[in-house]
Formats: sequence, C-alpha cells, structure tokens
Amino acid sequence: MKSVQYLFLLLIAGLAGLSSCKKDNVSGNADDIPGLGGDEWVNGPVDDWLFTNYTQVYNVDVKYKWSQTELSELNKFVVPVDEAQVIPVMTAIKDIWVTPYEQEAGGNFMKQYMPRFIILFGSPSYNSDGSFTLGQAEGEGRILLFDLNNFRSKGMPGYEPVDSLTVKEMFHTIEHEFGHTLHFNIMYPVEFKTITGGYTSNWNNNTNAQAREQGFISNYAMNGPDDDFVETIAFLLVEGQSWFQAMLATIESDEGRTKLQQKAAMVEDYYHNAWNINFRSLQTRTRAAIIAYTK
Amino acid sequence: MKRILSLLLIAGLFSACQKDESPFDKGPDERINETLASYEQALVSSPAGWNATIITGTGGLFNFHFRFNASNRVFMFSDFNQETAGTEKESSYRLKSLQQPVLMFDTYSYIHLLGDPTGSVNGGQNGEGLKVDFEYSLDTLYADSIILTGRFYGTRLKLIKSDQADLDAWQNGIWENNLAFLNISEILEYFKRFSHAGVTYEMLIDETSRTILFHWVSGGTLRTFVTSYYFDNTGLVLQEPLVNGNTTITGFDHFDWNDNNKTLDMQVNGQDATIAGATAPLRTDLGAPRRWWEAAANAGSYWISPTGFHVNGVDDAYHVTEVPNYYFTIFWPAYGRTQDNVVVDILGFVTQEIGGLALNIAAGYRPPNFTSDGRVVFPFLDVLTDVPPEAKDAFEKTYQKFSEAEGFYFVQTGASSYDMVAASDARSWISWVR
Repeated sequence: MKSVQYLFLLLIAGLAGLSSCKKDNVSGNADDIPGLGGDEWVNGPVDDWLFTNYTQVYNVDVKYKWSQTELSELNKFVVPVDEAQVIPVMTAIKDIWVTPYEQEAGGNFMKQYMPRFIILFGSPSYNSDGSFTLGQAEGEGRILLFDLNNFRSKGMPGYEPVDSLTVKEMFHTIEHEFGHTLHFNIMYPVEFKTITGGYTSNWNNNTNAQAREQGFISNYAMNGPDDDFVETIAFLLVEGQSWFQAMLATIESDEGRTKLQQKAAMVEDYYHNAWNINFRSLQTRTRAAIIAYTK
Repeated sequence: MKRILSLLLIAGLFSACQKDESPFDKGPDERINETLASYEQALVSSPAGWNATIITGTGGLFNFHFRFNASNRVFMFSDFNQETAGTEKESSYRLKSLQQPVLMFDTYSYIHLLGDPTGSVNGGQNGEGLKVDFEYSLDTLYADSIILTGRFYGTRLKLIKSDQADLDAWQNGIWENNLAFLNISEILEYFKRFSHAGVTYEMLIDETSRTILFHWVSGGTLRTFVTSYYFDNTGLVLQEPLVNGNTTITGFDHFDWNDNNKTLDMQVNGQDATIAGATAPLRTDLGAPRRWWEAAANAGSYWISPTGFHVNGVDDAYHVTEVPNYYFTIFWPAYGRTQDNVVVDILGFVTQEIGGLALNIAAGYRPPNFTSDGRVVFPFLDVLTDVPPEAKDAFEKTYQKFSEAEGFYFVQTGASSYDMVAASDARSWISWVR
C-alpha cells in the first residue's frame, strides 16, 4: 500500500514539474511564419491577367508557378510551364470550355461548378511504363493540366496541323473531368450503367475500334460507368456530332452502334433534365470553338 | 529509504525544468525569414549577375549566366545551344522555406531545357531528360559565391559573382558564336574530319554527354582518344588535351559555319582548319562487323537500338518509335534455322504487350557476308511475321535499309556499343547496344 502512495506522490510531483516547464514563447510573431497564407511574389502581367479573368470572375485560382506539392506524385519529374504559354492556354480554355457552357447554362453556372484550382505544368508527366499523363482531376476542386509548353493553336508561332491533336487532347481531358463534376452533383440515370455493362479494369486490352464494336465510345469508357458517361460527353463535345455520325457508320456491329446511340441520347437527356442545357447546342458551340483554334 | 529516494526523484524533476536560455535569440520563423532575406539580398546584390556551371546527371558540362532582381525575376543565358547563348530569357524565381531555404526557378527557362523530361528536347530519356534540377537547397553563402544542391537529382550548382566582362561576353554574342560549333550535327555524313599540322583527325561527337572521340593514323596505326569537352568564352575546350607527338590540341575556336557546304571553319592552335563530312571511315576497322555479330551470337544474345535509323540528318527517320507499343529494334544473330537448315538472323521490332515484351514483327536474313574491306552485307530472306498496318511503313523501310547491297561499316563506340553506318554514302546509321 505504501508503495502506491509514493507512486501518487511521484505523479503529482511530475505533473507539477511539467507545468512549471512552461517556457517563454520563442516562436515569435505568428504573422511572420514563412509561407503562411501561400507563396508570395511580385505580381507581373500574367498574374494580373489571371486575377482579372479567372480569380475575380470565377473565384478560380490558376497556379502556373512551380510548386512540388501541387504534383501529387512526388516521384515524378515534371517541369513548370513557360510564362509565355499561360495567357494563350487560359484564353483557349475560356473560349472553348467556359464560354459555351455559360452561353447555354447562364452566367452563374461556371462560377458555381468550375474547379477552384487549375494547375498548369509545362511537360507531360511520364509514367514508368513509358506512357504519360496529360491531365488529372482530383475530386471536384483541382484540375491538373500537363504538357502546356507544347500547346500550339492556330495563329501561334510554330503551329502545325498536327498540334491540333494536342489541343483536342487537352480539351478532351477538361471536358472529361468536368463531366465527373457534373455527375458528382446530379447523378445520371442509373439505366445508363446497364446499356452495355461489361466494365473492366483491363480496358486497355481493347483498342478504341474494338471498344466501339461493343458499344463504348473509347477503350477508356470500358473502365466503369462513370468514365463511360464522361468519355461519351467528352468525345461528343470535342469531336462534334458529324464526327459521331461518321464514326457510327464505321461500326460493324448493329448492337454496338445502337448502344452508342442510346448512350448519346441519354447524355442529351441528362443535360436537359439535370441542368436545363441543350446538349446539341452546347456541342455545336464547343466544336466551333475547337475548329476556330485549330483549322 | 524509499522516502529519500522519491524526494531525490522529485528534486530531479524540478531541477530538470531549469532550462538554459534558448541558444537562439530569435524564433525559428524569424530566423528563417532572415535567412531567406539574406539570400535574396545576396542574389540581387551582383549587378553583373552570376556565372554558373552545371554537370548534368548524364554527364555533360553546361554554363549559365543568371541575373536576379528584387521582383522575383531572373534573366538567363545558357550554352545549351546557339539560341540560348545569344538570347537572354526572362523568367521567374522565388525563395521558399521548405526543409531548408530553397531557390526555385518556378517558370520555364533555359535551366529547365536540361531537365525537361521530354527526351527530344535535350537528347535524354523520356521521363528524366538530362537529370538536372530546377529546385535548389541553398547550402552555403560566401562573399562571392553561393553553393546549392538540387532537391530531386542532387545537381550541384555553384554561383560565382560575374564581372561586367563576363556579362558582356554573353550579351555581345561571344558565347553564341562559340556555340556555332554545334552546327556540325547538320553535317549529313556520319564521319566528320579536319586536318591540323599535316594529320587528319576524325571525330565522333556525343552532344548529350559532351564528349568527343578522335581517330587519327600515326606510324601506320589507328589512334583513338576520348575526352569530355565544354565551352567557355574563348571557344570549345577539351577537358583533356589531345597529344599526338609534338602536337597538342587543347580546343577549337573562331567558328564560322557554312550552311551551303555544311562545313565548319575554325582555328586550332591559331591555324585555320575546316570540319567536313566524309563518306568512309578514316581507317576502316576491318574486324568490327564480325566482332559485333559474334559478340551477340556467341552469347546467344542480341543487339538492340531504341531509336532506329538516322537518315539524311533526321533521327528516327522511319518513325519506328511511333509504332504502337514499340519498345526497341532488335537484331538477333543466329536466331534459328529454316526448314532448309539455313541459319537465320532476325531483325525485328520488340513491342510491349500485355504480359511482357514480344517479338511479333520480324524479318529473316541469311548469315551475313563479311567483306575483306571491312563491310558487312545482310542477305534478305523474307518477312517472317504478319506486320500490323500501323507498323508496316516503319518496318518496311527499316528492313529495306538493312538489306542495302553496299552493306555497312561498323564503328565500335564502347565496350558493348557499335554504330552501323551505311557504306553507300555514310548518311544513314543506327546505334546498337547490348
């Protein structure tokens, strides 16, 4: 019993000892913590342009200066974007993606649903298998765009017709990721998932042509119903309706063709019912903007 | 006894709390801010900027010139190529406290050209480029220099204060003129020669690692010498001088590129010389084709080329790397036998398929014909596989080039690497490694 008492005494003494160790605060003024409130630099014309055209209008932060922490995969070596590319890229994004949606859905739509952060990188993000990543969305809040130093649209110095592929690829990424944002907010009809079924993580065993025979607009659409839905959106918007009709004509399987038509019709219905957007009209505007930048 | 013990313990606890004064007179944030401010002050304090040297992760020496201002702007020259040596580029930098104070070049500039992970930008591999950082920990600040270490590859960067003459050399185009040397990559022939003091020298230049291999004939035998090179404000400097009897060559200078003739005029030891293309080696390595063939055949192994043929000044002229899932071009000597019991060599494209690498695109050759003048001719047998339409053009051009009647010279470039050069005009070649 005695030993227990000693133990108590020791504990109390210990606590007293700890509390008496309260030191002076040497961490200084909390307002001076470096980096608190984000990185700072002297603003230049690019910063001013982004502030006027994106931050003020849409409450979107476009990050173009390097920050390793924005790149979620720390084992990758990616280089920052060239400042000279920032305004051309962000102008194209406004014209091809933002404006058509605003014209169809009203001025407040993009203010509400655009990702809060758009993060720009200069090179692709190479994967260990030799492939590379051009775009990435994390949740609804952040979209990462890569390889922007190679972005060339019509009228930019050094533009070649082959560059239109890079432009289309970038907007495919953006429309794909934004499709996810939309269905995270209002889910598409569950019937969409059963039009084809047959989703597989081994989607890359199929070429696009093979996928289309089975009723998917691309091989990546076979990854799952969500990706199927947004791949359908992205292809229809970026490539346009006449491409879609021409593509359907190349499909040998009647069943595959019919299912793709059903999916496209369901996308149109979804845009109308969920967002009161005329999808065909949005498609016409988006495609026209792409053509203006590439042909 | 126990009571004494516990009293002692308690006393110990109290005494442990009697802290010394903090060894620092200021808080950590304050000290970090001061350090960052002192580095920024140092960076902007040199009006003529800073000279810097970088050795890439793949082994080449590059010079830079930086001027920093107090508005997060940096003005840069680099001896990466003529354009970067002649045109100052403005971009941004910032200092940031990560685990250590860090200097980052946070928008694209000449330093990123070296590290760009797209290999076609700088001659490196996709995903890594030449392995050069653009985020640097600030290690040590001296009066006239700053030592930095890259955060990803560990690139060493040393900034040394420039004087006005250093800056003038860049701004007045002296470096740009010196980089005119790099135009020799436009010489269409594989073999490039110049003569100095009565001796003809042949050069093989690797611009990515900045090394030169020299060949010359002395006393009837072929001599070989390999050295790194770099540029300075006088011209091209050989890291180790080439010594041939009484002649010592330490570098080249006074470059003048002639674009019509594809020749480079220069001076060596103050005497005029001209680098021009040649259609055959200075002295053919007669045994090289057989050594190359047997090295793989005896090991039951093969040679690979990641990029295919260079033809008439164009790397990967047949676009083999654009074949879907292309991994490398393969030559497999004595791969097998035909039904008629003829030994067959295989030339093909290895592709990356589900489950691993596959050799699904291949042509067969009869055993090669090694000529007495040091060439090798590959007698075409047949295409042995189905060739998918998207690979057809690249593969046809590759095996047709391989089947050329004049055959190929071989140049050994390393312990297990050879260049195979078309004997017809020396304007096509392919590099093999094992």
